[in-house]
Amino acid sequence: MDYRLPKQDINTEPFMRQSPRYNRKDVFMRTDKAYKCEITNIVELTPTEKLFHLKILSDQERRIFEFRPGQFVMLEVPGFGEVPISLSSSSNNSEYVELCVRKSGRTTNMLHRAKTGAKLGIRGPFGTSFPMEKMAGHNILLVAGGLGLAPLRAPINWVSEYRDEYKDVHILYGTKDPDQMLFTYQYEEWQKVDHIKLLTIVEKANKDWNGRTGMITDLFKDIDIKPDDTFAIVCGPPVMFKFVCDHLDGLGIPMNRMFVSLERRMHCGMGKCCRCMVGSTFTCVDGPVFDYWSVLNLKEAI
Amino acid sequence: MKYLGIDPQKVRVGVFDFTGCEGCELQLANKEDSLLDFLSLLEVVNFREVSSDRGDDYDVALIEGNISRADEIDRLKDIRAKAKVLVAIGSCACFGGVNQQKNRFELDDVVKEVYGDHKVETDKVKRIADVVKVDLEIPGCPVSKEEVERIVVNVVLGAEIKIPKYPVCVECKQKVNTCVVDLGQICLGPVTRAGCDAVCPSGKVGCLGCRGPAEDANFESLKQILMDKGHSDSAIVERLRFYGAFNGTVG
Amino acid sequence: MIHKVITKNEFKKFVDGLIEENQTFGPKQVDKRADGSGIYQFKEVNSYDDMDLDYTVTYSSVKNFFLPFREELSSFDFSDKGWDQTVEYRVNPRVIIGVRPCDINALNILDKILIGGAYPSPYYMARRTNTFLVGMDHEPLDDCFCESLGHDTVHRGFNLFCTDIGDKYYLTISSSKAFGFLKNVKVADPVNGDSVKFHERRKYLRDSFKTKVEVAGLPSVLDIEFKSPVWKKWGDKCLNCGTCAMVCPTCYCYGIEETIDVNLKSSRKERVQYSCNLVDFAEVAGGHNFRPLKEDRLKYRFYHHYRGFAQNADDPICVGCNRCGRACLARINPKDVISDLQMED
Repeated sequence: MDYRLPKQDINTEPFMRQSPRYNRKDVFMRTDKAYKCEITNIVELTPTEKLFHLKILSDQERRIFEFRPGQFVMLEVPGFGEVPISLSSSSNNSEYVELCVRKSGRTTNMLHRAKTGAKLGIRGPFGTSFPMEKMAGHNILLVAGGLGLAPLRAPINWVSEYRDEYKDVHILYGTKDPDQMLFTYQYEEWQKVDHIKLLTIVEKANKDWNGRTGMITDLFKDIDIKPDDTFAIVCGPPVMFKFVCDHLDGLGIPMNRMFVSLERRMHCGMGKCCRCMVGSTFTCVDGPVFDYWSVLNLKEAI
Repeated sequence: MKYLGIDPQKVRVGVFDFTGCEGCELQLANKEDSLLDFLSLLEVVNFREVSSDRGDDYDVALIEGNISRADEIDRLKDIRAKAKVLVAIGSCACFGGVNQQKNRFELDDVVKEVYGDHKVETDKVKRIADVVKVDLEIPGCPVSKEEVERIVVNVVLGAEIKIPKYPVCVECKQKVNTCVVDLGQICLGPVTRAGCDAVCPSGKVGCLGCRGPAEDANFESLKQILMDKGHSDSAIVERLRFYGAFNGTVG
Repeated sequence: MIHKVITKNEFKKFVDGLIEENQTFGPKQVDKRADGSGIYQFKEVNSYDDMDLDYTVTYSSVKNFFLPFREELSSFDFSDKGWDQTVEYRVNPRVIIGVRPCDINALNILDKILIGGAYPSPYYMARRTNTFLVGMDHEPLDDCFCESLGHDTVHRGFNLFCTDIGDKYYLTISSSKAFGFLKNVKVADPVNGDSVKFHERRKYLRDSFKTKVEVAGLPSVLDIEFKSPVWKKWGDKCLNCGTCAMVCPTCYCYGIEETIDVNLKSSRKERVQYSCNLVDFAEVAGGHNFRPLKEDRLKYRFYHHYRGFAQNADDPICVGCNRCGRACLARINPKDVISDLQMED
């Protein structure tokens, strides 16, 4: 006579001895185990934005970690929290990743106080990416507003590295004021080395600014767009990408050739917590990259 | 945090009591299993209940109780001038607490009711924020030691402090309690800020609202619900007035 | 699937055997409402007689046995130079007795999302595989509407299911564990009379539903009525207290909290059950709230429940137990909200 239930100890399963591979979505893994990283460099971009270079410490985990432009990681600051941050570096850089982080909450405030050598965790990569291969052979419009240049920098890096595969490439970048411009030290390189045409604009000029003033859509007057041969990637706040995409739609660029990256506050990154839902869609697994037609079909996206 | 290259900074703290029961101060000295760790985060320069030191070189002043005498106003202003950060702890300090109920009556009648013909100096009760600038409020009657611990840890590390925005019902349901409204009681749980672990409803006592309003609380709806259940308007208003935490939200 | 019958006396022996050897939970009356009706919850039990198996419905669902309201996902131990993270999925086996078909169907839906969806959850898996579930049918309450959603009967997701056929239970055995345990007591193969009674019982239960909710076409109704004034009407009543989500057998949305221990030597990362009705559910860093209004948040919960999400093949996740409707002080309930929406057409 025995009624005792056997203990099924999941801790003895093989996956417990392996590093999680976040590129596999369908297998059991230690979904909360972060890759331990070290901050190898910190670049102060603006008073509120810093660029962190993070090196995954384990050789094996560094090899596993492969991402595509548009994807994000969950950045863990142990004890304080985990935040979704889009990958800003080249997907070909297998040595370290670059994350551009704005100081805007409990976790990111602590992160901004961290020094080189500090240990952090990352989980990921998560989410969808920009279809860079599909865009090959065409003109590319890369449009960013404010912090939107951070996620856009991954496709910019891609285009720079495979420059001969693309026709004309434009970056249109707008911020509220000149002090908020990110990655200013790279503008010359993008233009002179990578032959990307960069146009910038600010809403409010200061005394040092001698560039253009106005809304981002004003920049479209300065360039010649071939609607039937152009792909666009637009990163920025919802109001901004709506204006930009509607404008591009008006020019005749098909909506499924415009891509945007949505931002919500993910808590898990794995399509579970539902904090980043837009309508019935998970920003973390079905996005963050969507074509504009899909965005128009999402309830509450804009 | 050392791993981030950030050193924890001990907080030089003074704890001061005004009109109140000192229960919140007792809470600070409670929870023995973590008391030593808790105290090691602090440099207590003035705290009558745990130490005989009477220093006034504190950075953070914790204020318990409310203001109900003229001399308390001067003392409080003096503390404010010395403290970098002033924290109101407990419902008395944050909202006036139980004592503010006397504000609804003539002061002479109140004194007579309690002390008879004995002369006592007492004014209408003021919240700490009515007298000086308050940097942080930790509500509760008494305050929750766990919450105080969490806040102190964050202060020591210089991290942002978060307290729940949602109402007590969340914690109450998570404790798998029976809803006391279903048992015929008035409960302010649906409109009161969580963080107490629903201690009163867990003991089958309807929430008295000691932690003040939750964010975007729906008073009208709760009032309608309670009236539909047969509770009188005056009983509901009386409950809302208990700690003075909902003044301004009800007539 | 193997079918047997067991007398109620033998069943009692069987349950007592399970309870003796394992941590066991079952329905218990915990309180009485003003009108005299019982309030039940799943509680730890020490014997068969400790349970109230003739209960109507528990106030809270069994969900929190699988998705605890607060669950440690990992912990960090700090040193001067760095930290170490520990992730564990340790769960002791346990038995839950008397679970209703709608609740088991709810677990099947959670299985689909948490095990079958992207990034299967080992935390949930560990709890699910270590739980021995004994299901039991019941007469519906006046406001139950699981039948409208097809969740009044259940075919999988349990170890053993008992259908009441008078002096005996008709057993549906769907695990070898249950089959093995039943060797400890006297069970018999069903004879023709038992099967007849089984079908009669099924029909009787099905015919007992008084509340019907029209769910056909609901996903498109919800899409079309996204801006309907109906949401404001119900949103104005909503307390945003999260009670509906806490008692719901399928609401699984959560948040992550990290807490540093007072000794500053370690920290815990926890999954905390949340509700889309709570004010800061859709708040992002910097304070912007994507759903600032009560009606937006209320609508969102209905949208999730009846429109369904891709992770769940766009199926509704509501099972029709009406726990939310019963627990809601503001009397917001699926039947009335849905019929209001359908009137809009």
